[in-house]
Amino acid sequence: MSASFLDRESTVAPAGYNRFSVPPAALAVHLSIGQAYAFSTFNLPLTKLIGISHSAPGDWKLTEVGWTFSIAIAILGLSAALFGRWVELAGPRKSMFTAAMCFGGGFIVAAIGVHFHSLSLLYLGYGVLGGIGLGIGYISPVSTLIKWFPDRPGMATGMAIMGFGGGALIAAPLSLLLMAHFRTATSTGVMETFVTMGVIYFMFMMIGVYAVRVPAADWKPAGWVAPVKPRPLVTEAHVAVDVAWKTRQFWLLWTVLCMNVTAGIGVLGQASPMIQEIFSGRVTPEAAGSFVGLLSLFNMGGRFVWATVSDYIGRRNTYIVFFGLGILLYSSVPTIGHIGSIPLFVAAFAVILSMYGGGFATIPAYLRDIFGTMHVGAIHGRLLTAWSVAGVLGPVLVNYIRQYQIDSGVPKAQAYSITMYIMCALLLIGLLCNLGMRAVSDKYHHRLGTSAPAKGAS
Amino acid sequence: MKARIFALWLAVGIPLLWGVMKTLENAVKLFH
Repeated sequence: MSASFLDRESTVAPAGYNRFSVPPAALAVHLSIGQAYAFSTFNLPLTKLIGISHSAPGDWKLTEVGWTFSIAIAILGLSAALFGRWVELAGPRKSMFTAAMCFGGGFIVAAIGVHFHSLSLLYLGYGVLGGIGLGIGYISPVSTLIKWFPDRPGMATGMAIMGFGGGALIAAPLSLLLMAHFRTATSTGVMETFVTMGVIYFMFMMIGVYAVRVPAADWKPAGWVAPVKPRPLVTEAHVAVDVAWKTRQFWLLWTVLCMNVTAGIGVLGQASPMIQEIFSGRVTPEAAGSFVGLLSLFNMGGRFVWATVSDYIGRRNTYIVFFGLGILLYSSVPTIGHIGSIPLFVAAFAVILSMYGGGFATIPAYLRDIFGTMHVGAIHGRLLTAWSVAGVLGPVLVNYIRQYQIDSGVPKAQAYSITMYIMCALLLIGLLCNLGMRAVSDKYHHRLGTSAPAKGAS
Repeated sequence: MKARIFALWLAVGIPLLWGVMKTLENAVKLFH
């Protein structure tokens, strides 16, 4: 039986294929699903579906609407872990197509939820269906890119994952434009915007489906020779996904990602009120919104820059920089707030957020170095459960500690100092885990032609 | 092949540049 257009066999690149046409395919998917970071632009309009210009009795509360994003991120991690192995088997084209169906379809179901004012349908559409699209879409191009760029795996995955950071930069103004266009005296325009965005993102993700290719099994970049001398913490062996997650190295990397993300995501979620409260009376809500946009820009840029840098200085050293510099910057924030320097404050958080993004983008190459390329996409999927945990832990830590401080009589401008020191402690845990990273024992390596690791591995 | 690669990069590059430009436009407000 001949392979269909979506099958892995149909995506094997012919000889002489230019590998630089693959990163745009990955970017098309990640720029689309990166919309998730801009979901907050719908929060307020979703609380005014009945009242239109104000929240009326029967309208959803902000806390209820806020769960939509949390569900989507939690499902992202779970679906990446659950479907990682399927993504490896099915290949990038079929998985990108599935992601597009789920993500675009999620918007449509959410639009129906808005039409019938059903919160459950909103959760089911954007949160669950969209979340599955996020998870599958996020991991679908990773192992393909690593195989196309064995000489620069950090740069390649950084380029794709940069798209996830950049997606919010496109989605935020696009959502506002569409809602303004569809808004009438009897509608907030959210339902029509959801339908339009579902269609636009589905079509945009089809660029990735059309353009993605996998290299032939024996393909190597022209003139590239695999290093003969073994490099520290870079293996040429392979570890199967079901074995990898039982190793100490997997859980060290899980903690490294979780700590890096917890520190960054907590700040990102509270960035707007934080700058307004620390510099009370000097930063308007509008300017605070600009600050959040600027952080998103550094979150995106950091993904490409740091992941590329990791190809030169090594993954472990890159994370040493993230944690070391992060501790230095977080601990200096209370002093910067006390001095009252807005430019220094913005610069500190710009670097912090660049390292937050860099942490996401460098982890696939780190996994490739430690576990090899065979199941790197599936292993990456399981590691993303760290993101789900951090997505809850980070905002909770920042919000609750701030509230506790304020309730204890601490002025709002100083309510973030303890939080910053707790972030330093989290980064210290991450640093220690990263320093404890060692090569995976030979007994866990996959033996060619079998489905089992070497004897002795449990 | 080169035209195909150029078209693909253009397809993802234009929306990304638009988003970056909009963000920078807004970021200016922070320093005014």
